[in-house]
Order: sequence, then C-alpha cells, then structure tokens
Amino acid sequence: MAEFKPKIVVFACNWCTYAALDLAGTSRMKYPANFRVIKVMCSGRVDPQFVLEAFKQGADGVIVAGCHPGDCHYVNGNMKTLRRMTMLKKMLEEMGIEKERFRLEWISAAEATKWVQVANEMVEQVKALGPLKPRLEVKE
Amino acid sequence: MSEEIRIGVYVCHCGLNIAGVVNVKEVVEYAKTLPNVVVAKDYVFMCSAPGQAMIKEDIKEHKLNRVVVAACSPAMHEPTFRGVLGDAGLNPYLFEMANIREHCSWVHPDDKEAATEKAKELVRMAVAKARLLEPLEKIKSAVRPAVLVIGGGVAGLRATLDLVERGFDVYLVEKRSVLGGNAVKLGELAYTTLTGKDVVNSLVEKIKANPKAHIFLNSEVEKVDGSIGDFRVTVTRRLGEGKEEKIELNVGAIIVAIGYDPYEPAIGEYGYKTTDKVVTLFQLMDILSEEGPTKGELLIGGIRPKSLAFILCVGSLSTTPNAKPYCSRMCCSASLKTILKIKEKYPDIDVYVFYKDMRTYGKEEDLYWKAIENEVKFIRFDEAPSVKPRDKFVEVEAFDTTIQERIAIPVDAVVLANGMVPATDTEKIRIMLKIGCGADGFLKEAHLKLRPVEALTDGIFLAGVATGPKNIIESIASGSAAAAKAATIVTKEEIEVEPLIARVNEDMCSGCGICAALCPYEAITIEVKEDGKRISKVNSMLCKGCGTCAAACPSGAMQQSGFKDNQVMAQVVATFRGE
Repeated sequence: MAEFKPKIVVFACNWCTYAALDLAGTSRMKYPANFRVIKVMCSGRVDPQFVLEAFKQGADGVIVAGCHPGDCHYVNGNMKTLRRMTMLKKMLEEMGIEKERFRLEWISAAEATKWVQVANEMVEQVKALGPLKPRLEVKE
Repeated sequence: MSEEIRIGVYVCHCGLNIAGVVNVKEVVEYAKTLPNVVVAKDYVFMCSAPGQAMIKEDIKEHKLNRVVVAACSPAMHEPTFRGVLGDAGLNPYLFEMANIREHCSWVHPDDKEAATEKAKELVRMAVAKARLLEPLEKIKSAVRPAVLVIGGGVAGLRATLDLVERGFDVYLVEKRSVLGGNAVKLGELAYTTLTGKDVVNSLVEKIKANPKAHIFLNSEVEKVDGSIGDFRVTVTRRLGEGKEEKIELNVGAIIVAIGYDPYEPAIGEYGYKTTDKVVTLFQLMDILSEEGPTKGELLIGGIRPKSLAFILCVGSLSTTPNAKPYCSRMCCSASLKTILKIKEKYPDIDVYVFYKDMRTYGKEEDLYWKAIENEVKFIRFDEAPSVKPRDKFVEVEAFDTTIQERIAIPVDAVVLANGMVPATDTEKIRIMLKIGCGADGFLKEAHLKLRPVEALTDGIFLAGVATGPKNIIESIASGSAAAAKAATIVTKEEIEVEPLIARVNEDMCSGCGICAALCPYEAITIEVKEDGKRISKVNSMLCKGCGTCAAACPSGAMQQSGFKDNQVMAQVVATFRGE
C-alpha cells in the first residue's frame, strides 16, 4: 500500500498566520508539503461551512489560524472565530470526524517557528489516524 | 455571467528560488489543462519589466480577462501585478496569486516532486478562484482638511503647532482647564535650563497666536463616527455650574496624545502617606518650583532636610507587587537632574540614591557622572528597600548588592521616583476609537518599526506617552511624527480605500441583524424600507473588510468582495480536484 500522504487545508488570516508562513519561507524553515493554504483577511471570515466543505471534499485535516487574542487586525474577529470553531469542533465529533483532525491556532506574524511546530504535529497526528472515514454521509 | 472567462497563468522561476525546486515547465503544462486557461507561460523573473510587458501583451493579444501569477507571496508583488492589469486596461481585482515560493519552494527544498505537485495544486486553486473574481473599484472619499488632537500635553501641543503651521485647522481637546499635561510639573529638564513649564509656554504662545488652532479646554471627546478622511466627532465642554455644551467637529485625521498618569504608590508602599517625610518625585519638583507651595524652598514635612534618600523604580521594573514590569524611562534622569539642582542650592545635603538599574540612557549618562562628582551615593538593590519612619528621621533599609550587605541609612526625607501608568482615559479612548492596546495597558502602534505612531485604525495616530513611557524629548518628537503622518492624509483632497469590503444582496437579506451585532466597526446598520422590509446596510467607509459578517450571515446575503462564499468554496474544492 502506498504511503498515506494526508492533505490538510489551512485557513490563514492575512495579517498574522499567512505572514508567519511567509516568514517560515524567507527563513528557509522546513515543514511537510501536506498543507494547502487558503488566505482570508481575518480568521473571522472562516464560515464553518468552509471547514465542513473541506472535509467533505476529502481533507484529512483542517487548521483555522489567526492572530492571538487581543492582537486581531480587526479588533476582535478572532474571538468570533473562537466561538464558531468551539461549536464546530463539537459538531465534527458528532459527525465522526476525530477531534485531532481539526485545530484552531493563534499564530502571529513573527511565529514561523510555532507554525512549523503546529505543521509537524498536525501531520503526525493525522497520519496516526489514517485517511478520513466519516461516519455520516454528507449529502449535497 | 455571459462573458467568456479567459485566464492567463504566469509561473515565475524567481531565478532558481522557485525553479531550483519546482519543475516550472510541468506546472505550466498542467495549468494549460485547466478550464478557461487560454495561455500559460513561465519566465525567469515575472516581476521584471520584460515579465510585466509579457503579461500586458498577452492580456491584449489573448483577450484575457483574468490573470493568475504563481510566484512569491502576494504580500510581495500583488500590488505590482494588479498595476500591470490596470495598465493593460483590465480591472486590477481580476487577479489572483499562487504563493509557490514562500509557501512552497523555499520550505520544501528536499522534496522536488512534492513541491511541484503542491505548486500545481496551488495554481489550480488560484485559477478556480480567479474564474469567479469580479471587477472592483477602489472607494473614493473626500478628505476634511482638519485634524483633531486629543490631549494638550507636550506631544499634543507639538502636533498641534506643526499642523497649524502647515495651514490645517486643528481642534485641540484638553480635559483639564489648562494646557501642558504632566510636563508643567517637571522642573529643569536634562541638557537645558528650561523647565517643563517653559517648554509648554513656548508651544502654547505660538499655538494661541495662530488662528488655525481651536482650543477646547475642560472638554472631552464623547463620540467618534466615520472613518479616515471624514471623522465626525462630538466633544462635550464643561461650562461650570453643571452646564455642558456639545460641539460637533468634522476632521480628516485624529491624533491621540492622552499622556499618562504618574504612578500613585499605595498607602504604606515605601512609607508613602504614613509620614509627611516621604514624597514622590513629582511632589518634590512642585516643592522646588518657584510657583510651588514653598516658593522654591526645599521643605519636606516642615523641615529643611540635611539628608535625602531617593528610591528609583517606584512603580516600575516589578520592584513591588503593585509595580509595572516596564521601565518608565524618565525617572532616573529626572531624579538625577533634580538632585544636581538641589546640590547646587544646598551643597551640604547628603543624597543617597537607591536604584535597581541606572538608566540614564543615551547622552543623559552625563547626569550620572555629575552626580558621582557631587558625591551622591548610589546603592544598588534587587529587592525593594523598606522605608521605616522613626521619630525624627526615616530609615531606609536595603540589601546593597554591590557590597553584599544589608544597610540601613537614616535620612530626613525620602523621595519616591514614581514612574508612569496609562492615563485613566486610555481604555475609554481605546474603545471609542477601536485602537489596540498592549498587556501593559498603553495604546498600541500598528507596528513599532514599520508603522510607528500609526494606530491600527486608518487615519488615527498616536503620540507621546499614550503608547508607552517616553521622556519629554521623545514625546515631543513623536508629536511631530504624528503631525507629519496626519498631514499625509489631510493634504489629499480625496483618499482611496480598498474595495475588499462587505456588500449586501438586498433581495436575499432578511434583516436579522446578526451581521450588525458582530461588526467590530459598527459599519452595519439595519434599515427599514418603505415597504417595511428590514435590510442590512454597510457603510463602505467604515467597513475594513474582515468578513466576519459574511461568515455569520445565515442567508448568504452578506458577502465580502474578493472573498465571497463561492470564491473561497471554489478554492476549497480545487484543493482536491480539477473540474
């Protein structure tokens, strides 16, 4: 059997996490090539449906990441993300999607190292679970 | 959409930065297979003049109406390529970038195959989004050529003077009945024989002589609406006998210079307020002032002290549980300057300085050496000294880290060099203007090095100690800096704002108001139409384009331009498959 290469979707805010990933690049840090980043201006833009759609399409994991609490470029958009994603986590579990497949992270523009750490951990934990097999069929 | 979508994809080598890892040719060939892609090319440096010219020519030749560039981070060259589209007569927002350098080649140098695969998918995602992009126009707004300055301390005064001298109307709002803030309390300043009051007076005289300056004393800003270029401000002025008047102002920019409060030691902290022989540095400077209660005579607790102990870092450097973790920047120098003045007038006084770190930084180091020459004794502590009031004297006890011994020195009076804490109004102003603050409670600049004196909210600038401890020189300089920054806005007749904001589809909106409650900028209001239908309205000048409303809208009526549901969803789908 071919080696399982999980695909993980990252919703990153423009000001903190996207910039942290840029910094990881300019600093020539290395992390696994399993991530596909979708930029939004604020993590507050991440509609929980985006996350559900990613899992439906075949994501093995999803990360939503933004500025640290108190540091949001848009005052407090990230706090709304926190509320939404806390609820979404419960929903995902009920749908049979293991909680290790979803992470909400605060990664500032300076925290390239933190991103690399999160990326490595995420790949490891998703690999340990294997490919996503939802308990419920998600219908159109 | 009836128009045929014609996409051009341009893959950059960035020398070997990308091409050394990603198989660029393979990415180009793959891009050609994607729906709506009519041309795909690679080039060694897409951002170079020939690279840009190639895209421009293709837009015309191939009648492209969308462009995707796979290259560096959009933070780097998105504005460049948007400009290319604009030059070629295409709307600049019909552009999407795939980040295959910072997010790909640079971080996966050891796995060329995986990096190439990822680059292809990133291009596929960008093409999927590009297909759904819509033309957008920058939002233009007229600029009011006037500035509001909140706070009439040295920083606010300096900013006011600079701006009125450039010919702008400035509304200076000061809470107290006098101008000058804390600076008027300062005695003779470092490097000069001027007192704080002298500096303030010189600024105030020039401001008052300028007809462009409008000073509101006993006044506070109550409300701020609008945004960069067009802020509408309500000021309340106290008229006495409990009466007030409201003043409406309209300005293009705002400078916040609300200063600080001197740290007020707790009762009993270093003996404060348990004896009249313990005073703060600010109180001492008042005593030494010609206009002070003793007309400049050094009298503390009714006596002329023969010995004085100064305790530095009171309220700073975490010396006590109440103290702040930061250094207040002015107290070391202000203490030593005051001591030198005292020594000049009363050479017989013995002065002891208890300090944790002597931070007479920069050129103020000179004050320290002058104090040594004047036989001021310096005692270094790690743990805060204790102050014990006795019958006729006060005993200051500390572990001297230099001689590694506990010492107790009896003195006639103790001076507490108290630091700075955020001004009482900081929180109120922060919430009113939606500007951030740090864990220390001071207002926060957009970026200390890249965007100093700017608040995160456009059109608002920060000066003086409002953003953290500064000495008077630094405060004045930041006042000038904020004025220069504000001038870059109010000199323009019109400003352009990014169009990546929220917009409502009125037919789909049910007026539930979820969006309005979530908006951090109060940019959304619920309007009732003539037929009674409730709909959400976005004020495009207030909206900053975070998209949190769009994420919450249950009907999909609220959309963020450039990040519409279908555009993001298309990226999600394209992460896994082509169409």
